[in-house]
Amino acid sequence: MQPQETKYPQRTLKVLIVDDEVAYVDVLRRRMQKRNVIVETANSGSEAIRKLRESSFDIAIIDLKMEDMSGIEVLKIFKKMDPDMPVIMITGHGSEEAAQNGITCGAYDYLMKPCDFETLMEKINKAVLNKRG
Amino acid sequence: MQFLKKWLKYIGKREEKSLDSNELRLIFQNRYHNFKLLLNANNRSLEVMTEIEERLRGREPFGMTFIRSRVTRVSASVFQMIQYLNNLSSQRYLKLYSRFRDIEESIRQILETKITTTNAPLVIPMDELSRDSINLAGSKMATLGELKHALGIKVPDGFVITSEAYRRFLMHNDLISEINRLIQKTAAETIDNFFALSSSIQQLILNSRIPEEVEDAIICQTNEMLKKHGPSLTFALRSSALGEDTLGHSFAGQYRSILNVNPDHILQSYKEVVASMYGLPAMTYRFRHGIRDEDVAMCVGCLAMIDPIASGVVYTKSPFESGEEDNILIHSVWGLPKPVVDGSLEADLFVVSRREPFDITSVNLAIKDVAYISLPEEGVARVEMPPHQWDIPSLTEDQMKELAGIALSIERYYGRPQDIEWALDGMGNFIILQSRPLQVRGHEKSQDDQKIRKPFNPEHVILKGGVTASPGVASGKAFVVKRDADALRFPDGAILVTELALPRWASLLGRASAVITEVGNVAGHLANVAREFKIPAIFGLSGATRLLREGDEITIDADERVVLKGLDAIPLSERETEKGMMIGTPVYKVLYDVSRLIVPLYLTDPDSIDFKPDKCSTYHDITRFCHEMSVREMFRFGSEFKFAEKAAKRLVTEKKMQFWILDLNDGFHQGAVSPDAQYVRIEDIASIPMIALWEGMMSVPWGGPPPIKAKGFLSVLAESTINPSLDPAVANNMAIKNYFMISKNFCSLQSRFGYHFSEVEALVSERTRENYASFHFKGGAANLDRRVLRAKFIASLLDLWRFRCTVNGDALSARIEGRDIEEMKDALRVLGYLIIHTRQLDMVMTDPQSVTFYREKMLADLQKLCNVLMPVLD
Repeated sequence: MQPQETKYPQRTLKVLIVDDEVAYVDVLRRRMQKRNVIVETANSGSEAIRKLRESSFDIAIIDLKMEDMSGIEVLKIFKKMDPDMPVIMITGHGSEEAAQNGITCGAYDYLMKPCDFETLMEKINKAVLNKRG
Repeated sequence: MQFLKKWLKYIGKREEKSLDSNELRLIFQNRYHNFKLLLNANNRSLEVMTEIEERLRGREPFGMTFIRSRVTRVSASVFQMIQYLNNLSSQRYLKLYSRFRDIEESIRQILETKITTTNAPLVIPMDELSRDSINLAGSKMATLGELKHALGIKVPDGFVITSEAYRRFLMHNDLISEINRLIQKTAAETIDNFFALSSSIQQLILNSRIPEEVEDAIICQTNEMLKKHGPSLTFALRSSALGEDTLGHSFAGQYRSILNVNPDHILQSYKEVVASMYGLPAMTYRFRHGIRDEDVAMCVGCLAMIDPIASGVVYTKSPFESGEEDNILIHSVWGLPKPVVDGSLEADLFVVSRREPFDITSVNLAIKDVAYISLPEEGVARVEMPPHQWDIPSLTEDQMKELAGIALSIERYYGRPQDIEWALDGMGNFIILQSRPLQVRGHEKSQDDQKIRKPFNPEHVILKGGVTASPGVASGKAFVVKRDADALRFPDGAILVTELALPRWASLLGRASAVITEVGNVAGHLANVAREFKIPAIFGLSGATRLLREGDEITIDADERVVLKGLDAIPLSERETEKGMMIGTPVYKVLYDVSRLIVPLYLTDPDSIDFKPDKCSTYHDITRFCHEMSVREMFRFGSEFKFAEKAAKRLVTEKKMQFWILDLNDGFHQGAVSPDAQYVRIEDIASIPMIALWEGMMSVPWGGPPPIKAKGFLSVLAESTINPSLDPAVANNMAIKNYFMISKNFCSLQSRFGYHFSEVEALVSERTRENYASFHFKGGAANLDRRVLRAKFIASLLDLWRFRCTVNGDALSARIEGRDIEEMKDALRVLGYLIIHTRQLDMVMTDPQSVTFYREKMLADLQKLCNVLMPVLD
């Protein structure tokens, strides 16, 4: 079957994944790379902020629970540094409050960890498309 | 000193230590303390039993966690009762411990589950699969093998990672114990709690290592496949769980299927599919259907990925009565079938006659501007289709007929309607991806009901159209879910309104009362689950998320495909009542078996010679025994030791009835009663609950026994001759023994007025949470039928005052708790009144006029008695 063109972003996506769980980030990165997504990862909040200062991204994925600073703090700083970049929160401990909080602070949506990879990709595409549209 | 010596011997202490009255008081208080603790433990255990009985009605879902936690709770309470009873009786009932251990052990055996490994194969290639493989391969994969070998139907090549591999994975590093530890720790009993639990278990599984022998077996099979099909081969990993796809339990879409997996990622993807056993939708599904985790074993099919021209789902029959019984329904899209099953895109619907030559009855085309296809390396993508393909049928008529023929051959083979996922490959071959029994849901309403069904007011219609994804009527408040975060706030009983019929919304179906989506079809997973949950659903109702707002009160009639304004747009009588959905499920059976060792009460008669520890065969027996003995032990203290300060004193009363009062601690006003006094006046009483109870008892003079009709009187005589406990001599004797045990905040009244036994216990203080009053009532002189009616009569009155009542034969138990001090006083006034005024009412219970008369009189009296606690009247 030959598709005419892809409906979703033509240009390669550039994603920043912020999560201190190295093994999980590694799986996400490998899978995204198989789909031609450029992936940068940060294993801590401070590393994430440094990476965002150095470069720009189409979207960021932030784990709500990290050692050095909470995902919510990272989200708030990201929103100041680049208000247009959509952020998807992932929550491993399933705190409803934390997820709600994330939405209030400007996150595009949240996903429960571990998330279905295709669902994550769809959400990423939708968020990026949303931003451009 | 005689009693002191006796006491010292009794408690086994050294005799030389002399006890002054303060020391005795301490011992007493210790006893009283244990008595109160015992009563609390008794309440806790009875509460758990009530909860268990409630769940045994099967109307509410529960899981193994519920059973385990309640068993733990009730075991702890019963054990504590035994301890407290022994503390307050100088260890006179040690035998109870061994009875307890025996019962506990029997319960443990019912709850125990053990996973064992065998030498069964870890992987099985498609060529070797048949229906005999079902326990190793799961029904999905076994069915594919069967279709290939028995019917010569084309299915994808591949292999299955077996249930044996799954068990080894769970046993490896004791993963299963860690999972069970998480489950017990979280004690998730409500659907909300599953969220955190689901996340942690899935992560635990993903972070666990697959045992080496399983890894080797999977990699070896993968390499065989690559050799056979070339290096560009990718896989579809599909759950094929044991117990999945059986009729009534399709688990549709509840487990993960991962499409287009690169061979490099096959182990990781395997873990993801296994982890999806603990995904939110699957956990909710098991919970709602009473399936234990241990009843499921996740087999995973690894199938060669197909790149289809078109694909979809065939139903060999309509899934519910809709006038389409003679037709086959084909849902079809371009590319992968994913959007048909997950409801994310509109699909063509071809209706084909079930009779050869398979005439096309109708063609309903969707605008198919997008489709899902496989990406070259891994994963799938949503792509735009060339415009000329948007509105042409995705199958030719010949193809529809060919597919109908294949579908019917499968239906014939299995002897029941099928739900079949299919793909049309580039060579024009139909390949069957999955086939399972179709859930056909008939209307539970009879033809007569249909006739009297009133038409709804057309002015109330807010939305109309779409397709019936699951029939029925429901009402509730609309709740629009636009993104996952919204789902977190989803309230119980709301109507889910959303754009796409995504399978992951299934996790909300445990709470939703109906579903409305803008896009979606009856062949999707969500529709399937809605039908299994018996939740009405209308899909494809465009504009729903725009027109309906959060909090709108609406009624949906899925059969008529309308959404109406208001909660009662369709009368309740038109709605289907929920059946006991848990009954017959594995979890239900476990609860039932366990409850037989907990709930039944065999030690009913405390005067029987069988009323002893050896005869306790359930937890309830032990609690009953402990409770009875603790009361007796409390009295023993006062009577046996002639403890002047604490001995029972007779209450000065004008009535003939005798009331004896045992002051447990601070039941009299300070200094009001001399220790030697034999009598006590009601003004001297400081006990809050006793005063309230007494006020109720004395408020309205008793008018004497109701006039007995000749027939009623004869029945009393007849009953007396066959029931020796009704011997008036005995009754008289006992009439003297109306005992109040009191302290400032506690009161216990054991009374026997003629043939009527009643018991009130109450704890009333400023600590609202601990407040309680319980009432037990039994007996009467009339025949059993009338006594039962009387128990029900009293229950009906107490119910108005929010007592929780249980009537068992002629015995009534009622309790009220957690009310503040003023409300508790009212509740006790009500009890006091009823103790006095329901005497001998059993005599007139068969005369409806008298019943109405007494009921109204009593209601009026009781309302006058209460200051704050008012009855709930219709």
